[in-house]
Amino acid sequence: MIEKLNLENISLAVGIIVILIGLWGLLTQKNLIKIVIGFALFDTGIHIVMVSIGYIKGRTAPILDSAVDVNNASQIVVDPIPQALVLTAIVIGLGITALMLSYVLKMYQKRKSLEINNYKDLKW
Amino acid sequence: MVGPIYIIAIALGTAFFLGFFKKANRTFSFGLMLLAMAFMTFISAQWLYAFLTQNQETVQIFTAGFKPPFSISLQMGFHESIFLTIINVLGLFSAIYLFGHLRDKGVNMMMVFVVLFMGLNVVVMTRDLFNLFVFLEISTIAIIGLILLEKKEDAISSGFKYLIASGIISGLLLIGIIAVYYYSESLFINDIIASKLMYVKGGTIATFLILIALVLELKPFPANGWALDVYESAHPGVGAIVSSASATAGIFILFKLLPAFSDSAYYIIAVIGTLTFVGSNLLGIKQNKATRLLGYSSIGQIGLVMAVIGLTPYLGDKTMFIAFGLLLTHILAKAGLFWLAGIVKSKNIRDWAVIRRNPHLLVLMGTFVFALIGFPPFPSFFAKWELIMQLANSSGMVWLAFILLGSFIEGIYMFRWFGYAVKGENKDLPEFKIHWNKILPAILFAIGLYAFGYYSSTLTGIAGKFNYLPLLFIVFLYAIDFLPVYIKNTISIAGVGYYLYTIYPGLEEYRLVFGLIFLAGGMLTLLAGYAYKGKRQGFYPLTIMMFAGLLGLIEAKTTLEFFFAWELMTAGSYFLIIRGKKSMPHALSYILFSVGGAYLILAGFALAHIDQNTFSLDILSNVQYYAPVIFTLLAVGFMTKTASIGLHIWLPGAHAEAESDVSPMVSAILLKAGVFGLIILMLHMGFQSFGNVDIYYILAWIGAITAVMGNMMAAFQEDAKRLLAYSSIGFLGYTVFGLALMSHLGWLAAISLSVIHFMFKTLLFLAIGGVVWRVKTKEMYKMGGLIKKMPFTFISVLMGIIVISGVPPLTGFGGKWILYNAVLDKGWFFPAAAVFFAGIIAFLYCFRLIHTIFLGQLKDEHREVKEAPFWMLVPQYIILGVIMLFSALPNSLLKPIGEILLPYFPDGALEWQGQLAISAFGYWNGKLIMFIVVGIFVTVFAWLWYMNRNAQKVKQFNIGYSAERPSLPETTHFAYNFFAPYKKVLGFLVTPVISNFWDDVSEGIHAVADKIRRIYDGNAQNYALHIIMFVVVFYLIAFGGFYGI
Repeated sequence: MIEKLNLENISLAVGIIVILIGLWGLLTQKNLIKIVIGFALFDTGIHIVMVSIGYIKGRTAPILDSAVDVNNASQIVVDPIPQALVLTAIVIGLGITALMLSYVLKMYQKRKSLEINNYKDLKW
Repeated sequence: MVGPIYIIAIALGTAFFLGFFKKANRTFSFGLMLLAMAFMTFISAQWLYAFLTQNQETVQIFTAGFKPPFSISLQMGFHESIFLTIINVLGLFSAIYLFGHLRDKGVNMMMVFVVLFMGLNVVVMTRDLFNLFVFLEISTIAIIGLILLEKKEDAISSGFKYLIASGIISGLLLIGIIAVYYYSESLFINDIIASKLMYVKGGTIATFLILIALVLELKPFPANGWALDVYESAHPGVGAIVSSASATAGIFILFKLLPAFSDSAYYIIAVIGTLTFVGSNLLGIKQNKATRLLGYSSIGQIGLVMAVIGLTPYLGDKTMFIAFGLLLTHILAKAGLFWLAGIVKSKNIRDWAVIRRNPHLLVLMGTFVFALIGFPPFPSFFAKWELIMQLANSSGMVWLAFILLGSFIEGIYMFRWFGYAVKGENKDLPEFKIHWNKILPAILFAIGLYAFGYYSSTLTGIAGKFNYLPLLFIVFLYAIDFLPVYIKNTISIAGVGYYLYTIYPGLEEYRLVFGLIFLAGGMLTLLAGYAYKGKRQGFYPLTIMMFAGLLGLIEAKTTLEFFFAWELMTAGSYFLIIRGKKSMPHALSYILFSVGGAYLILAGFALAHIDQNTFSLDILSNVQYYAPVIFTLLAVGFMTKTASIGLHIWLPGAHAEAESDVSPMVSAILLKAGVFGLIILMLHMGFQSFGNVDIYYILAWIGAITAVMGNMMAAFQEDAKRLLAYSSIGFLGYTVFGLALMSHLGWLAAISLSVIHFMFKTLLFLAIGGVVWRVKTKEMYKMGGLIKKMPFTFISVLMGIIVISGVPPLTGFGGKWILYNAVLDKGWFFPAAAVFFAGIIAFLYCFRLIHTIFLGQLKDEHREVKEAPFWMLVPQYIILGVIMLFSALPNSLLKPIGEILLPYFPDGALEWQGQLAISAFGYWNGKLIMFIVVGIFVTVFAWLWYMNRNAQKVKQFNIGYSAERPSLPETTHFAYNFFAPYKKVLGFLVTPVISNFWDDVSEGIHAVADKIRRIYDGNAQNYALHIIMFVVVFYLIAFGGFYGI
């Protein structure tokens, strides 16, 4: 049991927990800002999961410098692709969060309310 | 050729450069953007052209100088080029449509617009899974940006809902992608497909996550509340993009990644697609806001395309044809309707009546609506045909049933909406302006629908056989619609006449009989059109559409041609019916019964086609499986047109409210299409039974009951045209009864009664139409004493009712005589008794037509009434001449029909000696009877004339004698509720049980729809919850049994 408590499993578990917390916030909070925060947590959780999936035990960061010999780099660094993906995903997540916040701002300007239940005019 | 990479380069470059033009002239910036969109369209179209004509091979484009999986690669293949062209064309015209808005909003919005289409282009081309994710996100963000084009609060809150929903969906996709990478160690889609992930433990979940995320992008029912809100509130130009361009890209991703999923993914996609198609359309029927209604329909249509992709195992190599036909129709028609919504600006569908201020817009709307429902000649018609044929062929009966059900439900709200547009009250509605940039795209897309419809027809395998000549004639009549009535009427009659002349030599047997009813009858009823003044906008193209359909039925050699013609006729007659003043609800019930009937016919043809490699109508004689089921489906389908009992409720209103010269067309002529269908069906399929139950015996009962009920309801009407309408129901009952006898005499009776019904119903509807034209009311008790004002009409009606009631000497008697002989021959005495009874009731209503309208006291307000218009009388007297001829020389009608029937029913034919007909039970000499009756008539008439000098004239206000109060006829008029005593006794028979039944069905469906749609409560969090629950439910379904290995 204890040997399963290594870095990648812990980070994987943490990622999943953060995803669930984010979803919980997204689904239950009534304040628009808090909902956006919930989404940001959800997104961050996914990023943690991505990084932990690319991790290989005992290896170093995939940066070619003096510490990593170019010739056997593929044996000593972790998988670089998830890390590259995560960077992109973070950027996209940032974009979406920013857009959400700007929508919240617009909504607040129109109706002076941050309560999500006040935005149910469209239905059925 | 310009490489596809330039699509991205140009879009990115333009978006970047536009940033420098913030201060510049905005129209100039817009021009720059439009140029970029045009160039992107050009590149994709050029590739499509190369694939279509030059055996172009699929091209892979590598970026950054590496091969995949070390770099992102793009692919340009045949399918990619089609989808890209569709998307970019849509982008180009959307830009033109949004010109005003984009210019007002400035350069930023234009940048967003270009980036959106760049994103969609890359999504289609990329072969890298993560790259797909990135560009999907870019296009989503861009769309949500475009929602801000509309400044209203609703639009903004819907954009937020969209953001939340797409945030969750893309989270799922991202987890799926990283999991797929974990198991397959590549992001290159080709590698992923090759690694067969679904057979790896854990890989199934990875692929499932991607699958469900892609499906969720397509807004499946019921996890789609956010999308509905966007459709409702966003600018219609943006709605068009979401509904068409984004959905097209989404469908393509699903299509592209299909090989990576397990085979059972097909099943999941098919289930979700079908559920979405039926569910979304069901909820749509309660909707009264136009853009939200379009949203329901968009989601439904995309669901259908999804279902088709999922049904690939059933559809085989026809999948692409079907999916493209449906998708293309959806894109063109839905974009067109959204654009119209932006022009008309009426939120509520009831207010769409305002569109009539410009009739050409109504033509556009009609084109889009009929294309969506799958009428010919649009691509969806051929796609749906192939879909149903293939499903039947590969035993996908349940899918078939659900898809037809969904299509039918979509018809309910689409036609209701269209009905409001055609007939609603539009006096107090606000004006709208039409800008060229908004109308041009819609016009081009409508033309595109026709063009692709034609192209699809050439791909069906029986290309070139479709008769497009009548359709061109319709277009021609539309083009000359500005001319006055008499010119268009002459051209129409000449056109029909010329066509009859060209096809006459080729017509044989019963096709000849019905060809003459349809076309010669058409010319005759068109003659009455000269009575109209002015332009009568739109009348002629629609009339000719109906006649084109009818003649198509005659000419059809294959089931496809038959169905094509059937639908064309339905569309044309719908438009004719809805022209009447109060016709809106009746036209709706007509089209719904027709569409329902047509789907039964389609299903019947599909089942008949199983294991046959031709579409010839002869396959009906050689049915391999389910023969009684096929027979029943087709018979019920045809009986929606003959208005047999249970399926008749559309008829009275539709016929009674129609214009004076339309009533005979839709009554005397159109109903015969159903008879014609039944004849073809019975001749090909012969005797059929379910176990021991003879279907023909049931049909005979249906015919008999229809006859009794139709006639009885006719007797209790106060409205003259309604009376005639019910009488048609009754008479068609005789015809069905006669056909069901399946004997020489039975068919002789049925076919000759069809001819006779055509004649007297044209006669009576034109005569009564002429009366209504003059006295401006249809209520009989408000008329009276018109014999002196309209003597020629009186003679027509008198002759007409003599024919209906079947007394000697006119032709009706001959028909009845044969029918009774046929019954004696067959021995079905119980239904026969009902038919006899019906014949007696016919006297009751016939009497009223003469008595209440023409006899009695002339009403004050009718003192200045003139004879019916001359051109109304002309066709009546032509028909009277023919009736006299057939009556005096019955063998001129009956002998040729008998000869036609001989090959099919050799036994029991009549024997003719001159005009003397001899059957097994007796004989009848029409000529002799004519002489006798005329002799009696002349004697009695002479005597009456002689006695006339003793008569005392009764003045109108001599209360003691004339007994009515002319000012308030309904209180004292003895003709009001004339048959009250009978009604007391038999009235319970005519309680509108069947109308009530259909009303309850309709109300029930609406109530269910209303209950279910309450899940869309407008709360973004609930919408998010729907998505999560959707994933969980389908996860459980998928892993509960069949997904994966």
